[in-house]
Amino acid sequence: MKPRKLHSSILSRALSRALSSSTATTTSPQCGSAFPLKTVTVANFEPSLTELRHHVRSSDFVAIDLEMTGVTSSPWRDSFEFDRSDVRYLKVRDSASRFAVVQFGVCPFRWDHSIQSFVAYPYNFFVFPRQELAGFGPCNEFLCQTTSMDFLARYQFDFNACIHEGISYLSREQEREAIRSLNSTHDSEWSDISKLNDVRDTPSVNMADILFTARMKDKFSEWRDGLLQEQNQSGQIQGTRKDSKQQFQEMFFKTHPALKLDGFTSRQLKLIQLVVKKHFKDLSYFNVNNEVSGSQQIVVYTDSEDELNLLLKEVKEENHRAKEAKIQSAVGFRHVIDLLSSEQKLIVGHNCFLDIAHVYSKFIGPLPGTPEEFVASVNKCFPHIADTKILMNTNFMLQERMKKSKKSLAAAFTMFCPQIAGGSKSTELVSPSHVKVNVEVDDSRSSSWNPGGKHEAGYDAFMTGCIFAQLCNDLGVDFKLHESSKQLAFNEKLRKYINHLYLSWMHGDIIDLNTGDKVANSTPSYNLKRRYPKIMFENIVIIWGFPSNIKAGEVRECISKAFGLTAIVSVYHLDATAVFVQFSKTELVSDFLLLKESLERSNGPISVLHPLAKLLEGGNTCAANYDTYKEICGSPLSETLFADQANKVSMKWKTKLIENKISLSSEEHESSCLHDNANDVALNLVEKIKPNKIDQLRNDQSRGQASPSEIEESCVAEANL
Amino acid sequence: MASLFQLLLLNQKRSLCTKVSTSKWKVKQVTTSNFNESLEEIKTHISSSDFIAISMEKTGSSSTTPWHRVQPFDTAETAYLKASQSAQRFQLLQFAVCPFSVTDSNNFVAHPYNFLLFPRDELKLGMPAYSFLCQTSQLASMARQGFDFNACIYEGISYLSRAQESVAKIRLGTGSPSLAAMKSSSPPTVADTVFVERIRSRIKHWRNTCKNSGAKTSKDEEIINSIRNIVLGNDQFKSRPCLNIDVCSERQVQLILQMIVDFPDDFLPLVIPTKSGTTQAVRIVLANSREDKELLERELHSIEEEEGKKIRGFREVIDLISASQKPVISHNCINDCTLVHSKFIAPLPSEIDDFVSSLCKSFPKVLDVSYLMKKSGTMKKVANIRNALSYVNTHFFAPVDMEIPDQDTEYKGNVDGLDALRLSYLFTKLCSILKISPIVPEFGDRRLASELEDFTNVFHPCSDDIQESSCNEDVSVWTNNTRKINCEHLVFLWGFKFGMTAGMLKSALRASHDIFSGEFDVRFVDKSCAIVVFWQPGLSRDFINVMNGDGISGGLKELVSDGLRVTCYETYRTMCRLGLWEMDLAESLEKALECSLSDKEINSERKSSEIHWCNDNVINFADL
Repeated sequence: MKPRKLHSSILSRALSRALSSSTATTTSPQCGSAFPLKTVTVANFEPSLTELRHHVRSSDFVAIDLEMTGVTSSPWRDSFEFDRSDVRYLKVRDSASRFAVVQFGVCPFRWDHSIQSFVAYPYNFFVFPRQELAGFGPCNEFLCQTTSMDFLARYQFDFNACIHEGISYLSREQEREAIRSLNSTHDSEWSDISKLNDVRDTPSVNMADILFTARMKDKFSEWRDGLLQEQNQSGQIQGTRKDSKQQFQEMFFKTHPALKLDGFTSRQLKLIQLVVKKHFKDLSYFNVNNEVSGSQQIVVYTDSEDELNLLLKEVKEENHRAKEAKIQSAVGFRHVIDLLSSEQKLIVGHNCFLDIAHVYSKFIGPLPGTPEEFVASVNKCFPHIADTKILMNTNFMLQERMKKSKKSLAAAFTMFCPQIAGGSKSTELVSPSHVKVNVEVDDSRSSSWNPGGKHEAGYDAFMTGCIFAQLCNDLGVDFKLHESSKQLAFNEKLRKYINHLYLSWMHGDIIDLNTGDKVANSTPSYNLKRRYPKIMFENIVIIWGFPSNIKAGEVRECISKAFGLTAIVSVYHLDATAVFVQFSKTELVSDFLLLKESLERSNGPISVLHPLAKLLEGGNTCAANYDTYKEICGSPLSETLFADQANKVSMKWKTKLIENKISLSSEEHESSCLHDNANDVALNLVEKIKPNKIDQLRNDQSRGQASPSEIEESCVAEANL
Repeated sequence: MASLFQLLLLNQKRSLCTKVSTSKWKVKQVTTSNFNESLEEIKTHISSSDFIAISMEKTGSSSTTPWHRVQPFDTAETAYLKASQSAQRFQLLQFAVCPFSVTDSNNFVAHPYNFLLFPRDELKLGMPAYSFLCQTSQLASMARQGFDFNACIYEGISYLSRAQESVAKIRLGTGSPSLAAMKSSSPPTVADTVFVERIRSRIKHWRNTCKNSGAKTSKDEEIINSIRNIVLGNDQFKSRPCLNIDVCSERQVQLILQMIVDFPDDFLPLVIPTKSGTTQAVRIVLANSREDKELLERELHSIEEEEGKKIRGFREVIDLISASQKPVISHNCINDCTLVHSKFIAPLPSEIDDFVSSLCKSFPKVLDVSYLMKKSGTMKKVANIRNALSYVNTHFFAPVDMEIPDQDTEYKGNVDGLDALRLSYLFTKLCSILKISPIVPEFGDRRLASELEDFTNVFHPCSDDIQESSCNEDVSVWTNNTRKINCEHLVFLWGFKFGMTAGMLKSALRASHDIFSGEFDVRFVDKSCAIVVFWQPGLSRDFINVMNGDGISGGLKELVSDGLRVTCYETYRTMCRLGLWEMDLAESLEKALECSLSDKEINSERKSSEIHWCNDNVINFADL
C-alpha cells in the first residue's frame, strides 16, 4: 500500500463498493479468463519456492510490489513539504518498522526469443508475521491504519487467508540470533544430560512425589530385569507390560531397547529423569527431537559406557539438526528475498523507497538511523534497483507522454501498455512499438486475460514489470539483442536511472543507492510544477501547544506584529496542534525563541499586551528549532496529535531545552549589551544543523528569492486539505 | 458418605449433559447488514432483562509481556495505568452482549448477541481510530478459534465515542450549540439595542416581502425579487423561504433568538455553526403556519436523529445499556471497563478517581464474576470464562436451565461471541451455588441482593495468586496471604547476571551487605528484574542510600560493578505514569530514572499509598 493508492479513498464508499464488487467477479476463480496469478500460502510455499527459484534465475528482471497494513502511524507523520530529506527518511523508517507486510507480489520477467515477447510469472505471496519459533522472529506487535485496512477490504483482500495461512519469516538478524542461541544450548546440552542441574532444583518433599518416584523405580527395574532375562527366555513378562501400555511403549531406539514415555507432566518427567540418573547405571533418559515425530522422551538401555557416549553424541547431533531445520523453515518467506538478493537480478518497483525500506526492516534487520547508512546496506543486498516512477518522471520524453494522465500505477499501466491492460483480446491493432508480454502460471502460458484485481500485490508487480519493459523499449533498449537484455542493469541507455529512488515524491528528492548522494531533480518540467518556495530549514521554528482556535493566519499576524511584516516567509500547518514558521532570516529563529522565553517568565502588563501574548495564551505553547522536529520524528513513540508527541518526547529532555533557554536568557539578563552575544549562542545552536547536499543545493538556488506573499495561502490551503 | 458419592456421580453426569448442551449454544451475529433491525430487537431485550453480560475480543492483550499485566505489587493506580494503556492501544473487533433475566433460582432467559466491530472511518475524520495496534499471537489465536476477519473488516460496525461524536458534529456542522448555555443574559447595552432594532426591522421587511410576493408575479418583479434575495441574503430552506443573518458573537445569536420570540410564531430560527464550533449565522425560516413549523421541526429532528445514528453506530447499544442502568456482568472489571470507557465514552483520564466517577455516571453497577468466584472461594484463579465454566460444572452440582427464546438465533446464529452467554450461565450457576438470589424484584427500587452488591464496582488489580504465578522461586513468606506491605518497603532490582534464580539472588544479596541480615524477600517480575521486600521499615531507604552513596564496598560493590541497579517504588509509579512500556521492565525503569532525574515534580505531587500484598488487593470504587 503506497501513498499513491490512497487517492481512491476520495471515492465515495458506495462507488468503491460497486467497483470492488465488479473486480471481484473478474478475479473470481470461476471466471474462465481471470488474470492468471499464482497465489502462495503456507500450504504450497515449498513447491512454489522451488519453481520461483528457477524462474528468477532465468529472468531478466523481477518486479515486486507490497501491500502493507498502513502507511502513516499518525497524521503528522505524513509526508510534508517541510520535511528535510533526513526527516523524510525517519518518517519512512517509522512506517516500515511499525506496519506489517501482508502481501508480497513477485513477478520475474524473461525475454523469450522464440516468440519475441516477454514471459511473466506473477506470484502473489500472503505474508503474516506469525511467531513460529518460540522467542525468535518478527515483532509480536504491528500497527494497522484504519483507512488502509478499509482500503484493502474494498479491493477484496482476503484477511482470513493472510492470518490463517500467511507465510511467516525471520529476518537475517533474527535467524543469526536463533542460530547463536541454538549453538549455545548445543554446547550446554551435553552437561544437561549428564549433570541434571535443573532437576536438583526441584525438591521432592511432597508425598505424591516420593510415591511416584518409588513406583517409577520399580517399573524401570522390572523392565530392565525383563530385558536381561529376555536374552535368555523370551515372552515371559508380557503380562506385566500390558497395564502400563499407555504410558510406556516399548521400542527400539537406534538398535537399543527403549521405553517411550507418554502422557507425563513435565514435573513427572523430571522425577523420572532423576530416578534414572540415581538408580540405574545402564539406563539413560533422552529428550529426542526428531523432524518426523517431533519431541520424544525415552529411556534407553545401553550395555556399556562407550555405547552410551556414542548414543549421546548421536542424539545430540540429531537434536541439533532438527532444531536447525526448524529455524530454516521459520525463515519462511525470507527465502524469496534471499533468492532475489543472491541472484543479483534487477529489481523493479513503482515508487518503491518505502517498499525497499519494508523489505529491509522485515527481512534484513532493523533500519539504520540515517538515509546514508540505509542506502549503503541496501546496495549490498540489492545491487540493482529500478523505479518505474523515476523512469517515467526523469525522462523528458516520457514526461511529455504522462503529462496529462494521473501518476498512479494503474493509470500508467493503461497509458504505456494499453494492449496488455485491456487484455490482449482488445481489437486494436498492436502497434510494433509495444512490447508483448505473455503470462505463465503452472506451466500453462496465456496471452489473453481479463484485467486482474488492482492492489493485489501479484498483479501490481506484473503491471510494474510491464511498464518497465515498455519504458525500456521506449528508451531504445533492444531486447532482441541478447546481450543487452542479459545485462539490463548495465545498459547504457538505462544506466543513469538505475538505483535512483524517490526519497520524497513531493520534494522530488532522489537518492542514489550507489553513492548515498541526493540527486537534484534537473528535469525542466519538474521545476515548473513547483508551487512552493525553496525552504531554508535553519530559518524554521516549530510551534505547538498553542490555543486550539488559532489558525496559521493568526500565527503569522502575531509574529509579524512583533518582528515586522517581512519577517515571515511562510506559515504551514503540520496538524491542528502545530505550525512551522519560516522566517526570512536565520537570526530571527533565536530572536523569536528568546522573546518567547522572556515573555513567559515575566507576568507583567507588557507580556499581556505583547502581540505574541495571543499565541502564548494558556501557557502550554512550546517552540523549538528544526532539529527538535527531527528528533521528535525519530522517536519511537507515536501519538495522534503532534503536540502530544512533542510533549511526550520532550519530557525526556525538558531540562536540556530549559538549560539552553536559561543560559541564553540569563546572559541577556545580565546586561543589555550582552544581547548580541546571547544571540550568537543561539545562532550557533541553530547552525549546528548541517544541511544535506540537496538542501544546500536548493538553498543556494533560492537564497533571497523567496517571496512571502501568496505562498502562505497555498501552504495553508494544502494544510487544510 | 454414600450421599456424597451419589452427589459426585450426579455431578459427573450433569457435567456430561452440559457439555452436550453447550455445543448447541448459538449466538445471533450482527454486522452492518442487520444492525438496524437487531438494534430494535436488543432495545426491547435490554429493557426487559435484569442483567446484561458483556464480553469483548480485542486485537491484543498484555499477556505476552508478563509485567505489563496487573501484578500483585501494583497499587490501584498503577493497575489502572496498565489496564488503560492496553485499552488505548488495542482495538475492539467483537463485542458480545447478552441481556438475561433469572426467572427461577436455576433458570434463566438469555438473548445473546455478538456484534462485529471495525473502526471504519465512515466520516473521513480520522475517527474512531486513526491507527491501532495488533498482536500477531492474539490474531493467530483468534484465527485458530475460527474468527472471521473478512467479515469483521468488510462488515464490522463502526462507532464513535461520546466525546468523538461531539467533535464530529462540530466538524460536520450539524451540531446545534445548546441554547441552555446562552440563557445567561447580561443587561443589554446600547449597542445591543441598536443591533436588535436593526435586525428586527430587517426581518419585518423580509417577512412582508415574503408574504406579499405570492400576489405579484410580473416578470420584472421576479427579477427584482431575485436580486433582492441575493442582496438580503434570502434563501430557500426545505422549500420554505429563509433569511440568513450573519453574526459575529454568541451574544448576538442570543439577542436574535430572544427577539424572534416577539414575532408571530411561524418563524423557526436555526443556528449555523462554523467548523470550529462557533456560530456563523442565524437562519430564520418562515413557515406557512404554526402546523407547518411543527412539521418542519419534526422533520429536522428526525434528520438529526438519523445522522446521529449513523455517527454513533454500535455505540447505540452501549448507550442503551447505559440508559437502562441495569447491572452489567463482566469477566474482568478493570480491563472491560477501561476498554468500554476509552472506545465509547471518552479518552481515559490520567487519574483513576476521575475514571471511576466518569464510568459510574454511565454504568452504575458492574459486577465482576472472576472476583465473585475468587472471593467466594469457588475458584482461585480464573483464566478465562470457558475454563471457569467447565471447572464449576465439574466441581459443583447446580443444575441451571437456559432458555434462548429467539428462534432466529438458533437457526442462523453461530458460536462466535459465546463468552457473554457463558458468563450469564456462569453467573446464574454461581448464584445458585452460593445461595444468592439474583432475582430482581419486579417492583420497588430494583435493588440487587445485598451479597451481590458487594461484588459490584470492584477493581481487583491482583488477579494472580502469588503462589501460582510464573516466578515461584523459593520465597517462603509469600504464603502469608493477607500480609500488607507499604510500597515504600519495596525496591526494584536489575542488572544481575542472566539466569539467576530468586534463591541465588537472595543469597548473593545476603552475603553482600549488613542490610540484608534482617528479613527480606526476593521475587522475579520478569527475567530482567526482581523486587526485594524489606519487612523492616526504613531498610529500603537505607539500601538505596547505600547504593547511591560513596561508601559502597564488599560484596555489594562487586555486584554493582557487575551492573546491579536499584530504585524505589516511586520510579515504578513514574514509569507507569509516563507510559514507558518497554519489553523488559529493567529497560523501562532505566528510562524512568533518566526522566525522573530531569523533572522531580512528577514524583513529588504523588502521595504514596499502601498496597495489599497478595490477593485481597481490592479497591472498592464505590467507597472512593
